[in-house]
Amino acid sequence: MLSFISFWRASAIVLCDLASTAYYIGGIVEQAVGKSAPWFILAVMAFSYTIRAVYMESCSMFVRGGVYKVVKEAMGGTLAKISASALMFDYVLTGPISAVAGGQYLAGLLNTLFPHFRIGWHLDPNSFAMIFAMAATLYFWWENIKGIHESSDKALRIMQLTTVMAVVMIAWCAYTLWLHPAPLPPLTLNFSPEGLGWAKGIGWLKPVGAIGVTMAFGHSLLAMSGEESLAQVYREMEAPKIKNLERTGLVIFVYSMLLTSLVSFFAVMIIPDAVRIPHYSDNLLSGLAMSVVGPHWARLLLQSFVVGVGVVILAGASNTSIVGANGVLNRLAEDGILVDWFRHLHPKYGTTHRMINLFVGMQLLTIVLCRGDVYMLGEAYAFGVVWSFVFKTLAVMVLRFKNREPREFMVPGNVKIGTVEWPIGLTLIFLVLLATASMNLMTKRVATVSGSIFTAVFFGVFLFSEKWNERHHADAHDVHEKFNLREEKDLVHVRGEFKKPNRVLVAVRDPGNMLHLIKALDELDSEKTELIVFTSRIRTGLGLVIDEHVSMDGEEQKLFTKVLEVAEKHGKTVTPMLVVSNEPFYAIAQAAQAVGASEVVFGASAKLSTDAQLERLAMTWGSLQTDKQPVRFRIIGPGVEHAADL
Amino acid sequence: MSWFQKKDLGSLKTPQTGPAPRAPKGLKIGPLLSEDVILFPPAGQDKTAILESLTAAVCRKAGLTAPALFLAKVQEREQGISTTLDTGLSLPHARMDGIDGILAGMAILKTPIPDPKQTELPIRVVFLFFSPNKQESFPVHLQLLRGVSSLFQPSLIDRLTAAAGPAETLALVRTLEG
Repeated sequence: MLSFISFWRASAIVLCDLASTAYYIGGIVEQAVGKSAPWFILAVMAFSYTIRAVYMESCSMFVRGGVYKVVKEAMGGTLAKISASALMFDYVLTGPISAVAGGQYLAGLLNTLFPHFRIGWHLDPNSFAMIFAMAATLYFWWENIKGIHESSDKALRIMQLTTVMAVVMIAWCAYTLWLHPAPLPPLTLNFSPEGLGWAKGIGWLKPVGAIGVTMAFGHSLLAMSGEESLAQVYREMEAPKIKNLERTGLVIFVYSMLLTSLVSFFAVMIIPDAVRIPHYSDNLLSGLAMSVVGPHWARLLLQSFVVGVGVVILAGASNTSIVGANGVLNRLAEDGILVDWFRHLHPKYGTTHRMINLFVGMQLLTIVLCRGDVYMLGEAYAFGVVWSFVFKTLAVMVLRFKNREPREFMVPGNVKIGTVEWPIGLTLIFLVLLATASMNLMTKRVATVSGSIFTAVFFGVFLFSEKWNERHHADAHDVHEKFNLREEKDLVHVRGEFKKPNRVLVAVRDPGNMLHLIKALDELDSEKTELIVFTSRIRTGLGLVIDEHVSMDGEEQKLFTKVLEVAEKHGKTVTPMLVVSNEPFYAIAQAAQAVGASEVVFGASAKLSTDAQLERLAMTWGSLQTDKQPVRFRIIGPGVEHAADL
Repeated sequence: MSWFQKKDLGSLKTPQTGPAPRAPKGLKIGPLLSEDVILFPPAGQDKTAILESLTAAVCRKAGLTAPALFLAKVQEREQGISTTLDTGLSLPHARMDGIDGILAGMAILKTPIPDPKQTELPIRVVFLFFSPNKQESFPVHLQLLRGVSSLFQPSLIDRLTAAAGPAETLALVRTLEG
C-alpha cells in the first residue's frame, strides 16, 4: 500500500532536524563569531522562509522534486550529480551531529546528577556522546527499515514533547529577564581564528562590513539545515499537497524562529559570559536551564527536562537524515545513477533496505571518526546544505526560462517586462546563497576540505555507477518503481485488511490512460474510502489461477509506477493489486467482490462500446455474486462518463 | 483478449450527468418465461440453430411477425464480446426498437455444446432475451443480465438439464426465485 502523511507529521519529521539545531547552533556560532551570534541565527531563520518558497516552487513542478531531479531538469546530469553528492554530505553529517549533541547533553546532565546521588563517576562527554550517537542511529536505522509511516509517528511524538519544553523554557527565560533585565547581544563581530579560517591571513577583509556579515551569516547557515528535507517528505505528503507543503513550511518557520533563534538570544543574555562557552558550548540549553531564576532543585529539574527532550529530538534528527538520504538515493537509482542492486526491497517491509544500510553505515563511520566532537561536525556540516541550496535555487531560476508552464506556486518577486517574467526574488535568494557559500569556502576550512573530498568521492561513485548501468542495462534510464508482491491464494483474505467503510476498485491497463484513476483520486475521500488500483494478467485456460511465484513483468512495473506517480501527485493512499486470470472481466468482478467494492471504475475502450463493457460486467458480476450488495460501475474516458447501478 | 482503455473513443456516447438510473427492484425472471418459450433442442444442434428456434418461439409468443430482424440483431451481438459464462449459461441478448418490454426464452441442452467463440466453454442452458432499445430501459437490461447470471448457477443448471420438460423447468426457476 502506498500511504501518505499529514502536514503535522511532515512538519515533525522536518523539525526533528531543523529545530534540533537549537541545541547546538548557539554554541557553535558563538565560538566562531562571538556574542553577536543570535542576530545571525535570527537572520538565517528569517532567510529560511525564502528557501521554503524555493522548495515549494520546485515541488509544484516535480512531486519527487529533490535537488537531483530539479538540477538535472534545469542544468543536466553532471551538475545534478554534484549537487546530490553535496546534499548527501549534508545528510551524512545531520544524523551524527544531532546524535552526538544529544549524547553531549546527556553526559552533561549525568555528570551533574551523579554527585547528587553520591555516585563517584564522571563520564567522558565525547566518548559517551559517541556511544550514544551510535545507539540512536542504529535505533532509527531499524525504524526506517520498517518504513516512514512508523518513523513519522515517533517524530510527531518527539515534536509534541519538544513543544512543551519550548513553552516552559521560553516562559521561564522571559520571567528571568523580567526579574533581571539584560541587554540584547551586541552586533559587533568578534571572529575567532578558527572562525576566520583561511581568511585569517587577509585581515583587511574582516572590517569590510558586508564581507564580515557574510562570513558570520555563513557560520550561522547550518541553523536552517533541515529545510532540504521538505522535498523528501513532499512525496509522502497527503493531499492537497502544495497547500500542505505551505502549511508545513509555515509550521517549521514559526517553530524554528521561536525556538532556535529565541533560545540563542536567551543563552547570551542569561548565561554568564564566564561559563557560557567554556562550560556549556556543547550543551548550551543545559547552561540556560541552570542559569534561570529559581531554586537549585527546580533548575536541575528543568535541565533534566531539557536534556530529556533534547536527547529524543536530536536522536530524531538521525531519523530525518535517514528518510532524506533514502529519498535522494532512491531518486538517483530510479534515474539509473545507482546500480539496481541498491533498489532491492526488504522482503517484509518493502523498504529500500540496502540504501538505508549503506547510508547508516556512513553515518556510523562519521560518528566514530569525529569521536564525539560536536564543533568539528558543525564546522563540516554547512558545506553540503549551502551548496545544495545554491544549485537548487539556480535550477529553479533556470527552469523559469526553460519550462514556462504555469506552476501551482512561484517564488514571489517577479517582474514582467514584455513577454518575459524576470524572477527578481529568486535571483536575490540565489545571490545571497552564492555569496555565503563562496565565503564559507574560505572561512570554514574543515567544511571545505571534508565536503570537497566527500562530494568528489560521491560524484565519482555516481558517475562510475551510471556508466556501469549504461553498459549493462540498455534501459538504465527507464527504471521503474520496485514493488513487493505478496501472494494470496484467496482474495477474500485481502478484504479484512481494509479498515475504511467504503472501497472503490479502479481497473487500470494502460499507463498512457490514467484519466479514470485521476478522476477517482480527485473524488476520493481518503478518510472513509479505500482505493484499490487493480490490473489483471490474462492467461489462457479456465479458472482463476494464482501462480506460486508471481513477479511483475516490465509492463506491469511500468503500469504501477505510473499509478504511484499519479497517487503521489494527489497525495492519496492507494493499494495496488495484480490478479492472474483467464478473463479480464472475471478478474475485475472477482477482485471487486473480494474487497467488498461498492464502486468499480474503469477506462473507456475503443474496441468495445461502453454498453458492451457494462453488459459483460453485469453478467460476470451476477455469476460470481454471493451477496446482494449493490455496486456501481463507472466507465470514464475523455468527455465521457457512463454509470450503472446494479 | 483485448479489452478496455484505448485512446480512440469514437464509438462512445455523449456524457451523462446526474445519478445513474436504477433498475426497478424485484426484477424476476420466472414471470418473463412460459412453457412455450422453453425449448429442449435435440442433440446435434449448434448455437446458431438454437438461437434461431428460440427467437422464433419468443417472437411467436409476442405476436411479432419479423423474427428474422430479431435473429439478425442477436447474431450481430454474438459477434461481439462473449455472452457465455463458465457456469454453463449462455446469455445472448439484443436491444430492439419497437418493443416495450422484455421478451425472453430459454433452451435446455441435455447434451452440452461448445461455445463458438470459446470452444472450451460448454453451454448447457441458453437464456435469450430482447429488451427495448431505449436509454431508460438499459438499467433493466443490465439488471436482467446480472439477475439471470446470478440465478443460473451450476446447481440450478444441473437440475434444469435433468428436468423432464418445460413445465418442470419453469417450476424450478419460479421456486428458486421464491
